[in-house]
Amino acid sequence: MSTDFTVLDMAGEPWTFSDHLDAAAVMTFHRGDF
Amino acid sequence: MAQRHGEFLGKGARVFAISADTPPMNAAVSQKLALPFPILSDPDRDRAITPLGFADEKDPRQISRPGTVIVAPTGEIVYSVTGRDYADRPDEDDLLGQVDQLGLPPTTQGPPTLGEVQPGDKAVAVEGLPSYLRGAKFAALAIRSRYRDVGDEFRDDLKGYVQMVERYLEALTEVEGRKA
Repeated sequence: MSTDFTVLDMAGEPWTFSDHLDAAAVMTFHRGDF
Repeated sequence: MAQRHGEFLGKGARVFAISADTPPMNAAVSQKLALPFPILSDPDRDRAITPLGFADEKDPRQISRPGTVIVAPTGEIVYSVTGRDYADRPDEDDLLGQVDQLGLPPTTQGPPTLGEVQPGDKAVAVEGLPSYLRGAKFAALAIRSRYRDVGDEFRDDLKGYVQMVERYLEALTEVEGRKA
């Protein structure tokens, strides 16, 4: 299974996962608002 | 993760956090904890949180469940785990071991760029986090004491919770160093 998606970075700009896959990625998901 | 960010880079993995909060809320958390990696925003949960199986359908706040995914440079998901709460996270040694198996060269990750910074209504200031975490720790210890006869699984689970909270407390001691 491969994955790709576009979310927003902390400046509110689009951020596409596959643009950063020249290395491995450890993604941590958070409940937020802390 | 922030404490051991350099170790992940050394094994060829960058670190990214994702939540359903807005970019300004994530920027506030990043600034508060001086994180060396970005917190990405999926406010409608339809880009990454739901497709990757982390939408918390039982919580009315439309948030993400805690979880960790490792993706190889090929795009293949090689590891995925879902936690039950903020203190139910995989051991970082285990994650580093998973990354190490990919056999990748070291990589780099520049400091994250912040835009507008706006903490959420429920955000706890960094000065308040030690008290918050110590309260969580002692509540867990009290419950463990009250229900000591329930069974090993319950006791071990609470022990793991306490150990993770202690790791968070230790991590807080390094925040000021990263800000310096």
